[in-house]
Amino acid sequence: MKKQLGFYVDAKRCIGCFTCAMACKNQYQQEPGVIWRQVYPLKEEIYPHHERAFYSLACNHCEHPACLEVCPVDAYSKRPQDGIVVHHQEQCIGCGNCIRSCPYGAPRFNPVQKRAEKCSLCWQRLDAGLDPACVASCPTNALTLIDLATFADPGAVQFPPGFPKMGRLNPSTRFRQAELPKIIKREDVS
Amino acid sequence: MTPSFELPLVIFTILSQQAIGLTLLYALRTAGRSARPEPSARIQWLASAGILALGLVVSLTHLGHPEGAPRAVIHLSTAWLSREALLFGLLVALMAVTGFLGAVRALVIAAAAAGLVALFVQGMVYAPPSFPAVNNALPFAFFLVTAIILGAGTASWFAPQDRQPFLRRILVGALVAGLLLFLISPCIWLSGGAIMRLTAVAYFASTLYWAHIGVGLILPLLVVLAVRRIPVWLPVLLLAGALCGRLVFYVDTVHSAVNLGGVY
Ligand code: SF4
Ligand code: SF4
Repeated sequence: MKKQLGFYVDAKRCIGCFTCAMACKNQYQQEPGVIWRQVYPLKEEIYPHHERAFYSLACNHCEHPACLEVCPVDAYSKRPQDGIVVHHQEQCIGCGNCIRSCPYGAPRFNPVQKRAEKCSLCWQRLDAGLDPACVASCPTNALTLIDLATFADPGAVQFPPGFPKMGRLNPSTRFRQAELPKIIKREDVS
Repeated sequence: MTPSFELPLVIFTILSQQAIGLTLLYALRTAGRSARPEPSARIQWLASAGILALGLVVSLTHLGHPEGAPRAVIHLSTAWLSREALLFGLLVALMAVTGFLGAVRALVIAAAAAGLVALFVQGMVYAPPSFPAVNNALPFAFFLVTAIILGAGTASWFAPQDRQPFLRRILVGALVAGLLLFLISPCIWLSGGAIMRLTAVAYFASTLYWAHIGVGLILPLLVVLAVRRIPVWLPVLLLAGALCGRLVFYVDTVHSAVNLGGVY
């Protein structure tokens, strides 16, 4: 398999502190309301415990990206050397088609530029030998960078509950699912 | 549909479907007849071209950078939107040429066929995986029914008297088909996944949805059945109803990303 970079989201470690989302905002200074990485609490129907669990999500740098396929001006490309899906904002005409079509809501509309934009997996930082800003910032190591060509964790899942199953796109994000805590109740104490 | 409510696209899709409907209805009602075009053929075809051209101009206003619109045809290999832009551009030219040449039969058939293909392509633009409720043939079916309803209604302004009963029958059939399609589709979504169910609930809770059903489908059907002709004002009512229905399609079709972290 060719090199394909992606995020590994460890929901067992994530404490929902939003540091990754803030690091992204700090790095790219997006316009207010434009969010490339977001931390989503799992809803109760999926994680029924009062201590919440979280998925930190951004673009999944899919193998068959819907954004790239639907863009009428070919403003997206997939880097052959690592599979990162790059949006070339200067080519974008702001039609909104990628924003509508990505099932994960990754591309967002920049109301000032009047063009789309999304997570670039910090390819400029990677090319300079650095980690993506979100990965570098995570205090619990819950967000890491993986290469699917070498990644071999049998416990990792691609489509956990709470993450839309889009097999044709083949998103590159992998997850370790959150586990419900073991609750031990003493029968002799009311 | 998220992220924003796109009024220019509502107007563009409705006007383009009205223009294609006119084209289809002309081809249908003159099929198998003497090769002579209808007396008002020229004005009718130029009207179709004008309506479609107006729709295309309105569609430009939804772009962040309309000056880049000519580049929208460069990704024909995978982007349905590029195919739509190219096809609708060619179609407006074909309609205008058909009008100027007095509705030559071969051009009429070519324009009707191109119109059908254009409706299919437009349906594919609105069937991405991010909208599970319409990630199928439904957008094409919605658009086809809308085109025939608006086409039959608007054609009654142009067609000679002896062809009015034909248009009336087509309109009644299309209104019944539309009623079934627009009522049954959300019911089917109710038995689908979480996002489909959210879409169905949003449709049923929408005043515009019921305005489309009532004003755009049931009322015109009752009127045509009662007076046994298409009154001159009816196409305006049909247009208003179709606009309500299309607004619902854009505003209330739920995106898969609205429930991240929840059941899909
Ligand atoms: S997650 Fe969305 S924006 Fe990112 S590559 Fe996949 S389809 Fe494109
Ligand atoms: S908004 Fe820009 S990047 Fe997205 S599909 Fe339209 S032109 Fe392409």
